Amino acid sequence: MVVINYESLGSTDVTTTKTLLHESIPLTGTIVTGTYKESGETETNIKNYTHGMFQSVYDYPYLSSSANHIFDMTVGYAKSSTLSGAVSAVQESKKINMYNQFSQVMMGYTSSNNTIREFELDLTLDQTGSMKDAFFINFSRLLYKDEIKPGTFNMTLLTGSWANPGSSEQKSASGSVLVIADASASSNQGTTNTLGGDYGVLYRRYGPNGSFTYSGATGSSDLGVGIIFYQAGIIALSTASFDGTPIFNSGSILSGASPTPMTVAQSFSSASISGSCNALRKRIANVSFNNSTQINSTIYFCRVPHNKYNYTANPTYLSSSQIRVKNVASDTPVSYITTVGLYSSNNELMAMAKLSEPLKKDPTNEITLRVRLDY
Amino acid sequence: MGFLDNSGDIILDAVLTDVGRRKMADGTFNITKFALGDDEIDYSLYNKDHASGSAYYDLEIMQTPVMEAFTQTNAGINYGLLTLTATDLLYLPVMEINKKAAVSNTVVTHGTFANVFFVADTTSDTSTYLLESTALGDGKYFMVSGQSSGPGVLLEGGLNTTTVKGTAANRTTYLETNNLLDSYFYVYYDNRFISSVLGSNGSAVFNNSDAGDGTVTLNYSLARASSVSTDLQLENYSAARISAPSNKIVYNAAYNPVDTSVSAISGPRSSFAVVSVEVKPTLDAEYSKYGFVNKDLFGDGNLYDYLDTTLYVQGASTGIQTQIPLRIIKYKS
Repeated sequence: MVVINYESLGSTDVTTTKTLLHESIPLTGTIVTGTYKESGETETNIKNYTHGMFQSVYDYPYLSSSANHIFDMTVGYAKSSTLSGAVSAVQESKKINMYNQFSQVMMGYTSSNNTIREFELDLTLDQTGSMKDAFFINFSRLLYKDEIKPGTFNMTLLTGSWANPGSSEQKSASGSVLVIADASASSNQGTTNTLGGDYGVLYRRYGPNGSFTYSGATGSSDLGVGIIFYQAGIIALSTASFDGTPIFNSGSILSGASPTPMTVAQSFSSASISGSCNALRKRIANVSFNNSTQINSTIYFCRVPHNKYNYTANPTYLSSSQIRVKNVASDTPVSYITTVGLYSSNNELMAMAKLSEPLKKDPTNEITLRVRLDY
Repeated sequence: MGFLDNSGDIILDAVLTDVGRRKMADGTFNITKFALGDDEIDYSLYNKDHASGSAYYDLEIMQTPVMEAFTQTNAGINYGLLTLTATDLLYLPVMEINKKAAVSNTVVTHGTFANVFFVADTTSDTSTYLLESTALGDGKYFMVSGQSSGPGVLLEGGLNTTTVKGTAANRTTYLETNNLLDSYFYVYYDNRFISSVLGSNGSAVFNNSDAGDGTVTLNYSLARASSVSTDLQLENYSAARISAPSNKIVYNAAYNPVDTSVSAISGPRSSFAVVSVEVKPTLDAEYSKYGFVNKDLFGDGNLYDYLDTTLYVQGASTGIQTQIPLRIIKYKS
C-alpha cells in the first residue's frame, strides 16, 4: 500500500561528506609464483598472451571463475636507452612501445617537439635522473581501489641467483633481499603531480635492522630505484635494482635457445617480455600497501517531531478498531519505527534504511534518524 | 535477507532501491521526503497486563528482529506510521467488505468459494452459464465485467467496534472531529488482467434512514474511475480513484433491521464505495499463463478458464485498507 504521511526534507536536513577508507593489502610472493605450478614451469595463475606484450597474474588459476586479477607485469625501455638497438634484441619494438605507452600516459610530453617525457627517479621533472628501462607492475583496481595510499607501499625482492633467489649474492647492507618503499611520501608531501596523477619515489632500504635508512640504488637520497603512481596503481621499477645480481634470468624461456644465464640488462635485451617478467615475479617475496577508497556520502537527517508519527496503519495496531497500545483514550499513543523510506517528489521509494531494533516513538520524544547513502 | 545485529548500538542499514538505482542511472535521482514504517511489528505482542509493570509492556516488541533493507520497492513500507493531530484517540477506522445478504445489488462470496469474488468475463456467455451453475446460480455471487448497473463489492469504512454505537453523534465525535473520514478510495489493480476499475460516484447513497424504519437504501451506478499516478510500488499494478461518499448507516434502537445486520461495520461509519472491474477483452494467454484452463470448477460438466488476482483498496486520507480477492472466470465449453 501507499504511505499516507511523508515528512519533507529541507536544505538543512541534507548534507554531503567525503570519507577516505583504507584497507591493508598484503600480497605474499608464493601467490605470485610457485603455488599454482603444474608440470614444468607452467603456472596456472599466470596468463600470457599471444601478443606477448604483458603478463597477467591472478590469485588462483585464471580459468576458474573464483580467480581474481591481481596485477599485470611488463618490461620496457626508452629508445634512447643503452639497451636499445642491440643485435640480439628480442621484442625490441614491443618493449619500446610499452615504455612509451606508460610514459605517454603517466608523464606526458616535453619540449616543443612533443617528445615523450621519460620517467625520472626523483621528484623533479628536469629530465635528469631518467629511468630509461623499467619493470612495470600495474595493480588491479580490485586491489588498489581509488589509489594506493602514499607512504604505505612496501615491496621485498629477492636478489640472489636465478636458481636460488633468496641467497646472499646481492652484496649490500640490506642482505639478500631488496626492500623498497615509498619512504619519503605521505598524504601531504613527498610526491609530484604529473599527467598520470601523483607519483612518489621508491627508495631502497639500507643498513642493519633497527637502524636502516632509505635511499637510492647508489646510496643517494635523491634518486630512487623506481617510482609509484598512486592513483594509477602503477609501479615502474628500475633495472638498476638488480645491477648486483649476476644471474637475473636463466634464459630458459627463450624459444629455441639453450639456457643462458643473463644479467638484468641482458634479460631486458635478449629475453622475451614474459621471460623477464617471470624472472622478476620469481623474486617477489612480499608486497604490501594500503589502498584508499573515497566514499562520497549524502546524509539525510530525518527529523521526527514529537507530534507526528505516533500512530500507525499497521493492521496489527488495531483490535476491533481499538488501538492496542492504549487502555483509555488519554493513554499516550505509541508506535515503533523499524524502517525509514526516502522518496522522490513522485512518491517513488528511492532508498530504504532499516534500524537494527525498533525505536519507540511517542508524543514525548523527538527523534533524528541519520541516514547515510554512500556513493 | 539476514537479520540486523541487534546486540549493540542501534545501527541503520541503508540501501538504494532498484528504482533509486534506475533514477541514478538516468540522472533523475532526487530525494525530497521521507516516511517511516513498522511492517515487522506485531502490536498484538504489546502486553498491557504484564505483571512487572508498564516498562515491560513492549518488551517483546522491542526484541523484534529486523531484517536487512530490501532493494525491491514493493517490499518497502507497506503501511507506514501515521500523523494524527489528536493524541487522545482510542479508536481508528478500518475498511471492511460488506457481505451482508440483506443489502441488494452487492456481490457476496459463495460458501463453497468463500475467499474469492467472481468476475465474469463478458465473452462466451459466461454469465449465462454461471447463472445456470449449481454453485453460483445467483447474480449476487459474481460481478459481470464492465457492467455499470452492478452488482459490485460494497466497501465500508468506520469503527468496527461494538463498544461505540454507530450513531450520527458518535460519527461526528469519533470520526469527523478527528479528520478520520475519507472522500476517496484508491483502488490498485493488476493491469495485465484488468483494463479499468468501476466505482460508484459521489452521489451514491447508502443509508437506513430514508424510510424511517431501518430499511436499507443503496443507490449507485458504476462508472470508470479516473486513473491516478500514485505508485503502489507493485509491478504491473495501476491505480484508480473512486469517490467514497458518507456511509449513513446509523444505529437507532427503533430500527428494524438493526444497523449491524446490513453493515459490515459495527460502530460509527465513515465512508462507503461500490467497486467493480472491467477485465481486458482477450485474456486467453493470461488464463493459461497465470491461471487455469478447461477446469470443471463447479462439477457440472462445464469447463472454465480462470485466474485469481487481488484488488488493493486504500482510503486516501486515513490509509484504511482492505484487499479484494478476485477470480476472473470465462466459460470455455
